[in-house]
Amino acid sequence: MRTLTAALAVSTALSSPVIAEDFSWAVTTDPQTMDPHAVSSAPVLGFLNNVYEGLVRRGKDMSIEPALATSWEPIGDGEGWRFFLREGVTFQNGNAFDAQDVLFSYERASSEASDVRSWFAPVSEVRVVDDFTVEIMTSAPNPIFPDSIANWMIMDSDWARQHLVEFPDKEQGNFATLNTNGTGAFRIVSRQPDLETVLEPFDGWWGEVEHNITRATLTPVQNPATALAALLSGDVDFINPVPIQDVARLQGNDDVSVIQGIEARVIMFGFPHEAETLKFSSDVTDANPFADVRVRQAVAHAINVPAILQTIMRGNAEEVAQLVSPAMRGFSDGLAERPEYNPDRARELLAEAGYPDGFSFGLKCPNNRYLNDEAVCQAATGMLAQVGLNAELDAMPVSNYWPELRADNYDMYLLGWSPGTFDAEHPIRFLASTPNEEKRLGSWNFGGYSNERIDALLPMIQSEIDDSKRQMMLDEVAGILQDEAAYVPMYVQPLIWGTASNIEMVQRPDNFFILRWVTVN
Amino acid sequence: MTDTPIETPAAKAPPKTAFGRFLDSDFFYSFRKSPVAVTSFGVTVLLILSAIFAPLIAPTNPFDPASLNLMNGFTAPMTPNAFTGETFLLGTDDQGRDVFSTILYGMRISLFVGAAAVAFAMVLGIALGLLAGYVGGWTETIIMRVADVQLTFPSILVAMLIFGIAKGVTPIEYRDQMAIWVLIVAIGLSDWVQFARVVRGATLVEKGKDYVQAARLIGRRPVPIMVRHILPNVLSPVLVIATISLALAIIAEATLSFLGVGAPPTQPSLGTLIRIGQGFLFSGEWWILFFPALTLLALALSVNLLGDWLRDALNPKLR
Repeated sequence: MRTLTAALAVSTALSSPVIAEDFSWAVTTDPQTMDPHAVSSAPVLGFLNNVYEGLVRRGKDMSIEPALATSWEPIGDGEGWRFFLREGVTFQNGNAFDAQDVLFSYERASSEASDVRSWFAPVSEVRVVDDFTVEIMTSAPNPIFPDSIANWMIMDSDWARQHLVEFPDKEQGNFATLNTNGTGAFRIVSRQPDLETVLEPFDGWWGEVEHNITRATLTPVQNPATALAALLSGDVDFINPVPIQDVARLQGNDDVSVIQGIEARVIMFGFPHEAETLKFSSDVTDANPFADVRVRQAVAHAINVPAILQTIMRGNAEEVAQLVSPAMRGFSDGLAERPEYNPDRARELLAEAGYPDGFSFGLKCPNNRYLNDEAVCQAATGMLAQVGLNAELDAMPVSNYWPELRADNYDMYLLGWSPGTFDAEHPIRFLASTPNEEKRLGSWNFGGYSNERIDALLPMIQSEIDDSKRQMMLDEVAGILQDEAAYVPMYVQPLIWGTASNIEMVQRPDNFFILRWVTVN
Repeated sequence: MTDTPIETPAAKAPPKTAFGRFLDSDFFYSFRKSPVAVTSFGVTVLLILSAIFAPLIAPTNPFDPASLNLMNGFTAPMTPNAFTGETFLLGTDDQGRDVFSTILYGMRISLFVGAAAVAFAMVLGIALGLLAGYVGGWTETIIMRVADVQLTFPSILVAMLIFGIAKGVTPIEYRDQMAIWVLIVAIGLSDWVQFARVVRGATLVEKGKDYVQAARLIGRRPVPIMVRHILPNVLSPVLVIATISLALAIIAEATLSFLGVGAPPTQPSLGTLIRIGQGFLFSGEWWILFFPALTLLALALSVNLLGDWLRDALNPKLR
């Protein structure tokens, strides 16, 4: 039987006049789930943007454009937003799309089990007006709401109920972890986690097709050097990222091209603000030195960011002093200076805080999530050791990393944050707000950092329409975060993609790879 | 036998010590006459000594993060660094670690793991081999069939399996400290079969000899017979296997570490260093990979050649 199928496949391939445009690409991190509401991380959301769609989506220049909604308008005096849905859209299993699916997806994505519920923190209610009109009410005026839901993907309510996946399941997984049914331009033909995911164009897609792909294969390759070798040998057409050390060499190669840009992602260290004691210390076991602002400032002064950028990043990244990069809306221009590298100042601060000889602690790092993440942590370990802070480095794959952080198993950790809305408000909501399940705030604030003033400013920032007043409040928050060294931001990660030279694609600054913009020449 | 040799006027040589007798032996003669043996012995001893005295030889301590200067990263061998002006014999890696020092320290881990794994395999293999050969019957059948089954698996696979299980059951905070010991047990357990088979074979031959029968007759118990009488007579083939196994164990350790399941980056062995260097293979920093790989090659090759020569020298049929 197998031979017969194979023979058939060969004969079809031979007789077919259309040349199949197979496209394959390699990434370091396999999207850990196919459920668009289960994990809020760029590898998952970026990949699923090819399969699922939201009411709105981001264009090639990151601007918001219509997707499943054709237009939208504010209701009254900032009470909410009214979305007019696209008619005639079908899901990949043939079911029709309507307002009930939007309501269902809201309930699913804002439920307790969802990882993206903080997107809906401003939402008070979702109303279905008719089959193709939905009103999303907000508790306060929210001028940037449509910008904030570009990654909120709509799932088919009937399909979800039929397969008993009304709620996402982060830990155990369910039918939606492996299977998809979106409205997007591509559908998943086969999915083998950590091995291979195959996509084919969805014939019933409503949009205008720009790409010429007939089949696309995603292969996770953990070792960047292996991925690079695959690109050079022609086994894959696209890799993300290109190892930073190989950029110069690739630029001289005619068979491949390098697409470079500055990503929105800020790489920083975080601290256990709420912890009573250190977890991995051999000398300080009855206190948490990181609760002291001077210790955190000492960390900021001890890390030689220019040296990291010069050697490990090879001059391909930029220093940053805030939780967002200068390219984001709401960046505070007056606070762009990082604390200078000054080990003596760091030692002074430690002495003032009562740790003249430093202390030991555990540093957690991912080793396959950000560019050269483990190398950066190793370098930081050396720099911290020079002022007496002896970090015990534990680097692990990202699939183990988030659960470790959620379980508070760290004394200090590395985090990269890319604001999905491209606005300075985003990291405040996720990283700087006091964690609050009910209000869906601070969901990635692992250390439980808490500042009353910031908590009070956030709703005001969200509802402020006047740009200069809004900026003043954002500046105030950025100032507080810097003074308190709540996080130690280091640099903005560069974006380096490598493609075969016959491929054309669009690189979006959020590092999302959008298949429907790919042309194979 | 007396310790004092009978002196004759013809041979005015001083009383021969054990070492003197060794220098006169056939064994040493064949060693002296074999350039391969002399060279490989020299290289092995040099490498082992430099590993043992690494803290005295190495210009820096690569395990002390406080001593590293990141700005020294990616310095080419014998070329002054563009920022700090420092020069390194074999260059530096991405963290500014001196490659020469990391090799010396890495070799310590490689040699220690290799030697300890072989020792473990040897003790286990000899014990089971003696038991199987001397006791016979069901004991022999079970031990030797287990050995046969294990022989059908590649040893690296067995080592990875053991390593994986051990990693799963150790708590995460102890994993790095345990990694080295787990590695030793994993490689040792995958290697005992060779020893057991040879020792069993030799024991079967020795068992029937008169001295064993005599020992039995005077009422010695089986364990003293095995350990005091048979063991010394089966040791020379074991020595050969141990030397060759050492080379294989060093390579097995390097393979596991290269695959990322062996020595952690904080205690890099030669294999870990090669894995780190592999990331810079395309970008022109060849020395990060090349020198650790060369050292591993020299170490494994010289130990292996030494083992080969030992096998020939101890084999009476080849004399």
